[in-house]
Amino acid sequence: MKFIDLLRLVAGNLTRRKARVALTAIGVVIGTAAVVVLVSLAIGLQQSANEQLYGIGDLSQIQVSPSYGGEGVVMGPGGGGGGFAPSDEVKLLTNSALEEFRAIPGVESVIPREYLMSGALMKFQKLESYVNIIGVGTNDVADLGDEAESGTTKLGRGTVVIGVSVPQSFYDPHARPGQEIPPPPEIFDQQVQMVVIKYDANGNEVRKNVALRVTGILKETRGESDWTVYMPLDQVKQFNEWSQNRRFNYNKDGYSMVIVKVSDVEQVIEIADQITAMGYQAFTPQSFLEGINNFFIVLQIIFGGVGAIALLVAAIGIANTMAMSILERTKEIGLMKAVGATNRDVLAIFLGEAAGIGFIGGLGGVLIGWLASQAINIIAAAFLAEQAGQQGGAPISMAVSTPLWLPIFALIFSTLVGMFSGLYPALRAATMIPVLALKYE
Amino acid sequence: MRQPFIQITRLTKHFEMGGQVVRALDGVDLEIEEGTFTVVMGPSGSGKSTLLYLLGGLDRPTSGEIAIEGERLDQMDENALALFRRRTMGFVFQSFNLIPSMTALENVGFPMQFSGVAAAQRGERARGLLDQVGLGNRAGHRPTELSGGQQQRVAIARALVNDPKLVLADEPTGNLDTSSGSAIMHALSDLHKAGRTVLVVTHDPRMTRFATHKIFLLDGHVVSEAEYETAALEAMNVE
Repeated sequence: MKFIDLLRLVAGNLTRRKARVALTAIGVVIGTAAVVVLVSLAIGLQQSANEQLYGIGDLSQIQVSPSYGGEGVVMGPGGGGGGFAPSDEVKLLTNSALEEFRAIPGVESVIPREYLMSGALMKFQKLESYVNIIGVGTNDVADLGDEAESGTTKLGRGTVVIGVSVPQSFYDPHARPGQEIPPPPEIFDQQVQMVVIKYDANGNEVRKNVALRVTGILKETRGESDWTVYMPLDQVKQFNEWSQNRRFNYNKDGYSMVIVKVSDVEQVIEIADQITAMGYQAFTPQSFLEGINNFFIVLQIIFGGVGAIALLVAAIGIANTMAMSILERTKEIGLMKAVGATNRDVLAIFLGEAAGIGFIGGLGGVLIGWLASQAINIIAAAFLAEQAGQQGGAPISMAVSTPLWLPIFALIFSTLVGMFSGLYPALRAATMIPVLALKYE
Repeated sequence: MRQPFIQITRLTKHFEMGGQVVRALDGVDLEIEEGTFTVVMGPSGSGKSTLLYLLGGLDRPTSGEIAIEGERLDQMDENALALFRRRTMGFVFQSFNLIPSMTALENVGFPMQFSGVAAAQRGERARGLLDQVGLGNRAGHRPTELSGGQQQRVAIARALVNDPKLVLADEPTGNLDTSSGSAIMHALSDLHKAGRTVLVVTHDPRMTRFATHKIFLLDGHVVSEAEYETAALEAMNVE
């Protein structure tokens, strides 16, 4: 039997029992629509979570902290990579430790960084801001994965490179309540005053003024660097030595943090695990993301499973309809065999009809599921925009996301469900003894 | 020695019915030559329909041999039997067995779907056969829009669609009035005249006018015409 003839025959047989086929297909419609909507919802949630987490940091970086032994303070999810040293050994991030990291295959660069240990005020004209100052052990912030929005990423003595949001933190300390808030100052390529503050043994404030030029503004990363002022490590070290009244020896005391940049993102977790095994604390945003993604995959499976239960119920409906249909058409089956249909022909016809019901239901379900997803998106977008407006932060761009593979998969799946439900009735039809089928009343 | 077209040897068919074995056919030997018109007669339960279905490969014998053109039906598997029916046989049933959702034309062309004939050729051949049985103008009608006689003529056209050597008819006039029945008898007789082998199972004694051969069955055995008539008379006397 030709495939085109089979298709025509199946289509003809389905259209001659329109009401029954439609009623049976409704079950499949509901099941498929549920699968499409729920999985779209899970995918949408994952996407918006990733969107919100995008600023968590460069995925090719590992943040390594020293281990001081004993029970560590839990900082974040361990996931597959990172975590804490199993031993009580004290492991400091000395220069020799940095050399060890550089020796790990796949490591692109190892950059130490230090926070300014005292308060620092940045002044520009009438405005001032308490800023987050980080000294980095490289003369180019680009090594940390940042790019310049204006100016340069290069660091030099007497210059700073700032995150894009730093100007927004400036305020007028003499402003009276109700006075208009001044706009963020244009400080690119301008001289700013930095005031480093420490307290002496008697509790008196001691200030140190430094003039700095802003030579670069970084592109937005939606992460820490947006709010950070970058300086060469040596300069931060000098400030720290001044404010703490002691000398720092990195060979002895170690750095407070090291950024290990890995050339291949795929290797990040593996290298983080190696560093952890060496006794340091390694954290990578990737392990965090991986944990979140695993959660969303589980969510997709659970949501998909709920839809699949609806499809299972629909499958039983199809099996029932096909069994009824075969009883009614027993004589027809006998006739088909008398005029030369093989068992395979009969099987193909009835499996085709069952698959056809699944396909029709799947088509309806995909359509309704997609429409429902769009509707949820419109409603949710309005609601979330309102929420974001109240609470600040970027609104979620979409609540429900239907990737192209989902409707295709749902359609194939519903067709297969139909075919599978029709298997038993179709086998019964195919193996009927012709004479008994012909004489069936 | 030349082999007969159909050779049946020691054929038996037993059914289990309510715990009792019914011997529908109990050792039948028959030879039927090609190009004959054979009428099988017998009272209800004599096994005549069973014989037809066994001959058509629609049922399996309990024992014995059935050979058509030397090919042993009793030794074929399901698939081979289906292909053999498709190639060699056409069936006409008492209840017509047309598919209600299909037009007369589609019903006639239906068996050709299984042999993979293209749709255009199917239509052409089916139309020719409908013309042959005098229903060319009813091609687009569904079975419910046709009289019993017309439906049976559609069924005859369908039986011929694969150009079979053997046409098997089971009580073809059983559901028809006298004049429609006569028309069907003539149609079957025409098939015989055109060179096909025709075997008709019937109650209708008028059919014997067209027959070249007559077979009488009683309780699963082949009997002579004389024996058959005696038995028929006895049955009448009992009544």
